[in-house]
Amino acid sequence: MPDAISAWVAILLVSGVTLTSRLSGPFLMARLPMSPAMERFLQNLSLSVIAALVASILARGGLREAASVAAAILAMVVLRKAIWAMAAGMVVAAGWTFLAA
Amino acid sequence: MVRIAQSSPIILTAPGIRRGALLLAPVALFFIPFGLAFGVAASTKGMAATQSMVLSLLAFSGSVQFSTLDLWHATIAYGTLALVVTAVNARHVVMGAALSPWINRLPLRQRLPTLALLNDANFAACQTAFRSGERDMGLLLGSGLVLWAGWVLGAVAGAFAGTSIGDPVALGFDVVMLCFLAAMVAGQANRPLSLVPVLVGAAVAILTLPLLPQGWNVIVGAFAGGIAGSWFHA
Repeated sequence: MPDAISAWVAILLVSGVTLTSRLSGPFLMARLPMSPAMERFLQNLSLSVIAALVASILARGGLREAASVAAAILAMVVLRKAIWAMAAGMVVAAGWTFLAA
Repeated sequence: MVRIAQSSPIILTAPGIRRGALLLAPVALFFIPFGLAFGVAASTKGMAATQSMVLSLLAFSGSVQFSTLDLWHATIAYGTLALVVTAVNARHVVMGAALSPWINRLPLRQRLPTLALLNDANFAACQTAFRSGERDMGLLLGSGLVLWAGWVLGAVAGAFAGTSIGDPVALGFDVVMLCFLAAMVAGQANRPLSLVPVLVGAAVAILTLPLLPQGWNVIVGAFAGGIAGSWFHA
């Protein structure tokens, strides 16, 4: 475990980088001209970034995570409510862990 | 696609903040066990309770904080830590860019706190609303605030409780965020054309996972999906 000073330096470093990443997207875009093509690209980007994130987590996870996400997507398509999707995914994950134990 | 009408003003109001908070309050409830899981993991790694609480308060990101724990050794490699955290955070830049047509029309003093609380969950939920004509950025700020509160509440409880609490993974809390994000994508990919960025983004992120440091594969996937979607549209 690091000493107190190194620990606080690390905490400030991590927090600073994270805050900068949250602020920088819109500030970078303010320097680029907005066009219909750019708007369309950003619209697609807002879907693809979440899809890529989910896919990346699933690829590193196992069948338990895949089964949970499948249940969540099914619940979302049928019931159209994110809260039921989360509940369905949680039940499958908890059930999987319970049965595997 | 929805063109952003220049005539309708972008606003940030207290009722908007309240609606945002209510919209993601159910998700925020699930952030409590998440934050708790981090607090517990941090204390097993030897992070002091005050340190893990301040980190949760300031960083407010599960992926960033768990990556930090991986590098929490007696001697901290600051360069490696900065690189890893930058990679994990890179998707925030993409999300911010995607929100820029709306967010950049707010005054700076409203833009900064709204962006400071940007995260996967409120991005996924709010960008849908903005595309459907929502003009109140309070939705983003309010949902950010309620998620932050849940995360910090859990982190404080976890930092003090340490390992005395059971395993949050056994109860399925670890997949809740993943399922919420998958549900947001499923809720929006309702037209064949919107499947293009989703499928290309997912496929490229998986294919580049073994080739790139974790985090960058998400960015490459996001850009590939964005470009593919625009190309199919044209």
